[in-house]
Amino acid sequence: MPDHGADLSEKALAERFGEVVLPHLGDALSLARWLTGNAADAEDVVQDACIKAHAGIAGYAGGNPRAWLLTIVRNTSYTWMSRNRPRGMMAVGDLGDLDDMASAHGTSLPDEDGPEASLIAKADTAALEAAIVALPQPFRETLVLRDINGLSYREISAMLAVPIGTVMSRLARARGLLASELGRAP
Amino acid sequence: MTAHDDGLPNDPEGIRLMIHALVDGELDAAAALAVERRIAADPQLAAEHARIVAVQGAVSRLPRPDVSDAFLARIAAIGAPAAQAPDQEAQRRSPSSIPGLTVGAAGGLRRSAEARPSPARTMPRARRFGSFDWRAMAASIMISAVLASGATQWVMVNNVADGFAAAVASGHRRSLLAASPIDIVSSDRHTVKPWLDARIGVSPPAPDLAQDGFALIGGRVEVISGRPVPALVYRHREHLITLVAEPQQSGKATEPNDLSSGGFSMVHWSDGAFSYWAISDMERPELDDFVARFRKAAV
Repeated sequence: MPDHGADLSEKALAERFGEVVLPHLGDALSLARWLTGNAADAEDVVQDACIKAHAGIAGYAGGNPRAWLLTIVRNTSYTWMSRNRPRGMMAVGDLGDLDDMASAHGTSLPDEDGPEASLIAKADTAALEAAIVALPQPFRETLVLRDINGLSYREISAMLAVPIGTVMSRLARARGLLASELGRAP
Repeated sequence: MTAHDDGLPNDPEGIRLMIHALVDGELDAAAALAVERRIAADPQLAAEHARIVAVQGAVSRLPRPDVSDAFLARIAAIGAPAAQAPDQEAQRRSPSSIPGLTVGAAGGLRRSAEARPSPARTMPRARRFGSFDWRAMAASIMISAVLASGATQWVMVNNVADGFAAAVASGHRRSLLAASPIDIVSSDRHTVKPWLDARIGVSPPAPDLAQDGFALIGGRVEVISGRPVPALVYRHREHLITLVAEPQQSGKATEPNDLSSGGFSMVHWSDGAFSYWAISDMERPELDDFVARFRKAAV
């Protein structure tokens, strides 16, 4: 090969794309699916995100590759939604509303008797998915990043640009809302 | 409730967050031990712990979407070096456990090439000037440049405090003086957006407002505060409008804010996803009109 230099670096970048992006496509699809609400849109969003990831792969500076890719997927999802379904984006009020909403569900009153854990564990997949879909977006996003994508509090905090305390309280609220939804008598 | 001196929060909300952190494996050994002791001593906390474990377990056991071979091949094709004919090295480094990748990658390439006529490298050079009337453009640029440069100078001197605005203004002025105000010449947003995507991985809304009298004529990349940001260029009669869109992370939407001075119009607003700066040598009402139409079309 005559033009070793350019060729090698391009190959190195391609290799990095293979290592950083491809192993995490399942997580990327999960996140996009929960943010956009359906699987077909998720593929479009992830494909867009991967084009961006490819363009920016030289800027990937180590760290958790999954968190890096998911950050791009998240941003792409919101850009995509603001373009394709402006209505969906408007549904979320500000965080003050969310606090009211959460306390209306009794989730910030831990002393109150919650549902039995066994009832929650028995809930079927469809009911759980519906409950997650019904979560306010900041809660849903935090829950998915933690319990489905397996990111740490610190990684989520960095991705959402909010303090760790906010990540923790959003996660607690999300789980509290799910618990009271699933724990309702059938 | 009795007071504890184990270093944990004593309010119910605080201890509840600690239980979540325990379930998530976010506590060090000492804190985990302390939380476990509290749980063991208090049936209410124990019930809360059991609920959290149940919810967490149920969510994490949800079925995951399948990564189909076809989809994987499509994505792998994005990363294939130069996206050209079979490259042994590239195929060997791709996960070999994926059946049909070699065949699929070629198919995926075709498919993505059809779906998006984009990345820079797939665009024939000739297209850059294609059907575009370059001479008329050049004439209008010269006029705009002469008119705008004086005004820009004024803004630059007076708004030094606002570094970003000054950088946007200087980028706009430089673009008017350069051989071309745009790096990608196209009135087709489906060409401009993928081009920006492929260059810097960011692609703002780019509605074509030709029917409203503001034609999208292309885009370019600005470097502001050391970061590449996308810029769209619209034309209104003899005037060019540069629209810089700075990506925001969980930013707030703000209403248009007038930064104009000395006959030089600049408006700033954001929609949460992007922070926009529109700058032009047009009259302020005309720029406002553009901003209103853009916002309506972009939302």
